[in-house]
Amino acid sequence: MSESTVRYSQRGGARAMKGFLRQFLSYGGAQVGLVCLVFFLVVAPIPNILVGPLQTAINATGDFLAPPSGEHLLGTDEVGRDVLNLVVHGARISLTIALLATVISLIVGTTVGITAGYYGGRVDVWLMRLTDFFFVMPSFVLALVITPVVLEVMGRGGEILGFRPSPFVILVVIGLTSWAFVARIVRSQTLSLKERTFIDRARVAGSSNFSIMVRHILPNLVPQIAANGALVVAGAIYVETSLSFLGLGDPLQPSWGTLLSLAQRAGAASAGAWWYLGAPGVCVLTVSLSFVLIGNALDDTFNPRRRVIP
Amino acid sequence: MNGGGTSRHIGRIIIRAIVTLLMVAILNFILFRVIPGDPAKLLLGGARTSVTAEQIEAQRQNWGLNRPLFPDQLVDYLSATVRGDLGYSFKFRGRHVADLILERLPATIILVGIAQLTAIVIGVMVGIYAGWRRGGTLDNLATGSSLLLYSTPSFWMAMILVVIFSTSLGWFPGYGAYSPGAITGFLGSFLDYLRHLTLPVTAVALGLIGQYVVVARAAMSDVVTEDYMVTARAKGLTGGQMLMRHAFRNAMLPVVTLITLNLGYVVAGAITVEAVFAWPGIGGLTVEALNARDYPVLQGIFLLLGASIVVANLVADLAYGLLDPRVRQ
Repeated sequence: MSESTVRYSQRGGARAMKGFLRQFLSYGGAQVGLVCLVFFLVVAPIPNILVGPLQTAINATGDFLAPPSGEHLLGTDEVGRDVLNLVVHGARISLTIALLATVISLIVGTTVGITAGYYGGRVDVWLMRLTDFFFVMPSFVLALVITPVVLEVMGRGGEILGFRPSPFVILVVIGLTSWAFVARIVRSQTLSLKERTFIDRARVAGSSNFSIMVRHILPNLVPQIAANGALVVAGAIYVETSLSFLGLGDPLQPSWGTLLSLAQRAGAASAGAWWYLGAPGVCVLTVSLSFVLIGNALDDTFNPRRRVIP
Repeated sequence: MNGGGTSRHIGRIIIRAIVTLLMVAILNFILFRVIPGDPAKLLLGGARTSVTAEQIEAQRQNWGLNRPLFPDQLVDYLSATVRGDLGYSFKFRGRHVADLILERLPATIILVGIAQLTAIVIGVMVGIYAGWRRGGTLDNLATGSSLLLYSTPSFWMAMILVVIFSTSLGWFPGYGAYSPGAITGFLGSFLDYLRHLTLPVTAVALGLIGQYVVVARAAMSDVVTEDYMVTARAKGLTGGQMLMRHAFRNAMLPVVTLITLNLGYVVAGAITVEAVFAWPGIGGLTVEALNARDYPVLQGIFLLLGASIVVANLVADLAYGLLDPRVRQ
């Protein structure tokens, strides 16, 4: 009996997956977003193969602020570094920060949301009060004051898990301050899920609260978490870029935001060096737009009510 | 609907706002105690100044730093904050943080206010029209470009505006709020100020327009499928009458809420844009404070941003209740 149930649900799962993919890929936005994203995800892990090691003022190869040419496709910066080289290396750093921050944010948001929704009562009240705070206060504003203080405490030298301290702190702070939206959605879904009969069945069968939350409720939350995860990435890229632009990034591990900050300090805008500030900006725009498009398409796919309205 | 329910609702909203503000202040307190170094020395102008042991001891007494952190010091800190005493700046030696912030606030309010007005007028009009004529050419154009604007960091937009309209075309200045010297007279300097305002306002407004278009369009899309719109058509109203009398008013509710909420967030959003133009407002002060590790100023700014966000949320909640009586139940 239980075996046939399992097999049935697997077949159903495969069919649902196929239906989901067909629906998801029917959105033009999802296609554009996926293509752009795959491009960046292919480029980001292998910057050394594509453009050689990250250039510094010492091994820079070009003139100062030279416009794009055959040798330097995206021109050079104020110390003669190749902008293409910087941008490709920036992809690795920006995407790593954004994705890891999102992972932290999803873990915290899901944990808080499930716990609050499942246990209810006083736990719910206090967790939601905490969530309200992070919901109201934008990640950017919190990170703006927390990041410099934490960096002051830790010092700016050395490396943590392969990161310089400042990108590391930025990603952790973004992750820990941008989970409120996810928590709210997960909580409201949990509230309705826990009333379903299959949860009662699991409880009667002797499952612990933890096991019910992880094995029965969590799998049903995946659609919502995925759709919001895409939007969290877009938000994380925005916050990271803004913080780095204000000078909180690390020039030794330059993200796109750090490059824009360097361009601003070098007076690239007033020197008319559009290639220097254009390249990282277009990358930020493309990636965050891709995640927004994918997030919207996921939302439309999972939420059939939205499909009715064109 | 009874009066008691309404006042209880309002009371709950106000208490939530106060709790959030309190948490902002407590976070500030904790962060300031976490920074390495003697707080008394920090309060006297940063770790790099040389002060005598007597001065430090006096400061200790003065600030009650010998007493326990909780609750004594926290209560002192909170009551000082409520009185508007935010401590002294490190960078601008001996100046009150509150004075520094108040000095810079007008420039930010002018920038952000004009940008908001521009974005509201353009964004809401375009969004309402796009939602009214869903699937039309203008709708597709507006939806696509507002998504693009929404994903563009506004400070990058600002840099691009400088390259095009300041460096290449030379139409508008791309730095500061005044031309140095040369211009005299009230009218002359006023026009000069406006010319300096143009690009920063455009950059901030473009970021907001995208949001307003999206929300106004979505609100309109929800409204046009309502039963009362069918009734309105059945009564023989023209499209224009339906739009103005029925659709517009109902669609305004979420738009007004978003606008009110944005009043709180837009100061923070303008920080990076101000940094691009070296605009002498809160954003410029933030960059200076970050570069100089001027923590008291940074915390004052955090408090200001937090307060404006909380107040805007409070007003939005109250306005929502006023505009839509169903919420109060």
